[in-house]
Amino acid sequence: MDYIENLRREIAQREAELQDLRARLVKAEAEKSTAESDKDRSLNGEAWKWPLEEHEYERYSRQMIVPNFGLKGQLNIKNAKVLLVGAGGLGCPAAAYLAGAGVGTLGLVDGDAVEVSNLHRQVAHSTARVGMMKVDSAVAYLKGLNPTITYHAHATHLTPQNAEEIVSQYDVVLDCTDHPTSRYLISDICVLLSKPLISASAFQTSGQLIVLNNPPGRGPCYRCVFPKPPPPESVVGCGEGGIVGPVVGVMGVLQALEAIKLLVRGDHHHRLKSVDGTEEEEDGQKQVGMLLFSGMGDVPFRTVRMRGKRKGCFACAGDDSALTLAELKNSMDYVQFCGVNEPVKLLRPEERISVAEYERISREKRAHVLLDVREKEHFELCSIPGSVNVPISRFTARREGMGLDGLIPGGELLPPDAPIYVVCRVGNDSQIAAKKLKDWGVDRDGERFVGDVLGGLRAWKDGVDPSLPFI
Amino acid sequence: MTSSAPKPPRGHFSILYFASASSFTGRDAESLPAPMPLSRLFSELETRHPGIRAKILDSCLVTVNLDYVDVPGEGEEGPVIREADEVAIIPPVSSG
Repeated sequence: MDYIENLRREIAQREAELQDLRARLVKAEAEKSTAESDKDRSLNGEAWKWPLEEHEYERYSRQMIVPNFGLKGQLNIKNAKVLLVGAGGLGCPAAAYLAGAGVGTLGLVDGDAVEVSNLHRQVAHSTARVGMMKVDSAVAYLKGLNPTITYHAHATHLTPQNAEEIVSQYDVVLDCTDHPTSRYLISDICVLLSKPLISASAFQTSGQLIVLNNPPGRGPCYRCVFPKPPPPESVVGCGEGGIVGPVVGVMGVLQALEAIKLLVRGDHHHRLKSVDGTEEEEDGQKQVGMLLFSGMGDVPFRTVRMRGKRKGCFACAGDDSALTLAELKNSMDYVQFCGVNEPVKLLRPEERISVAEYERISREKRAHVLLDVREKEHFELCSIPGSVNVPISRFTARREGMGLDGLIPGGELLPPDAPIYVVCRVGNDSQIAAKKLKDWGVDRDGERFVGDVLGGLRAWKDGVDPSLPFI
Repeated sequence: MTSSAPKPPRGHFSILYFASASSFTGRDAESLPAPMPLSRLFSELETRHPGIRAKILDSCLVTVNLDYVDVPGEGEEGPVIREADEVAIIPPVSSG
């Protein structure tokens, strides 16, 4: 196995090097042809007199001739430095279109490595580059696409400590991350460093997109829109809840479009202009919309009109109480602010059985029910033999007075004291469901055992059946 | 204005649930009796979907006819949701 792994890694490494060499060749050829044309011209006594380089007219002409884009738009794009935080499902397509459009400098921040489960949506990576840092994999892809611009790979997660140093090198920021902690951090640093922020997100079949802090200091920030983070137990990532590739792809592409619009208009220079004393917009606030995308809905796109900045906003109020750079760096704890997802502790140890115990019970064919409370899509992929699927939502949606029908399928065929075991992915929801059954009197005041399987399917895979293909 | 929700019946408004609000309630939309003071919206939803307040509503944004609204506290003065209005419950989506 190690041998195979090493070979894979070496091939990925060499391929990345090859790709880099090819990119350098293309760049050198472009420069050489420019130089030769220059030479020809100087022999003829004429200098290159156009604002872009020769190869750039060829590469970018299709967008430059679009009405209102023009040479000026291209120059704005060329002179811009754009940072993408996150090189995943949003960052890959966004970076591809920004690189293609000729953004002068593209920076990528990500501390993760490429996994096979990323590839259905993270289109800049490849099977050959699994295991590589995402930023390096993405830059290898982007150099193949456009070798003539500058890339910076920051192979780290954005933290309160490194945020100022990294973000200050850029003009515009794209939030392509996947967690509330990074969303608040990125918004705060963009407010403090006066960078417009294009924020997108996607989950399962839906997405959101909003341009924040634009113009800097005048548009609302992420905290103005969502002052309170969602409770940590409700934050489910794509790894657990799933994501349809083109849904996150659409959102990343739209993010790139917003960035291009902003750069072509020159919004990112707005702050500098106002320092020069140039005229500002009359009321200083522009109508901000949040785009909601429902990939499977009858109306895929909706835009809701936002209010401007929130009075007294913790980050962007602009008064003495507002956040400072030093505070962000030294005392902001985004993990604590967003809350930590504590393991559920609803059942006592004697109300929980181990996977080994359950395996014995099932082998001895003792009468019992095993309820698997994962969602049906998870259950369909793999399950413990003999288990029946009743998703947790069925338990949380039940109200006083409603029957227990359907919550214990097959239960009526068993002796009334046959034990009920509940299992889920890792052992949290199973406790919630077991506790509810007890609260509803299913345990007949202790006559019947109602409890859960400790550690859930993950423990089952580790301890009993390593062949389970998905947890 | 576009809307995927069927037109609410007479004397009702429609409420759209996005992202985690949709998974929590198990539906994309429903109709509620109008008029209703906006300040009563959250307690009405809590009665229909117990637990929704702490899990979803406290951290979501709310729009009426696609316009952002501040939801006043219980008993405070505030706007009234009228017949045929479209209310949306929009929780933050963080992943990507």
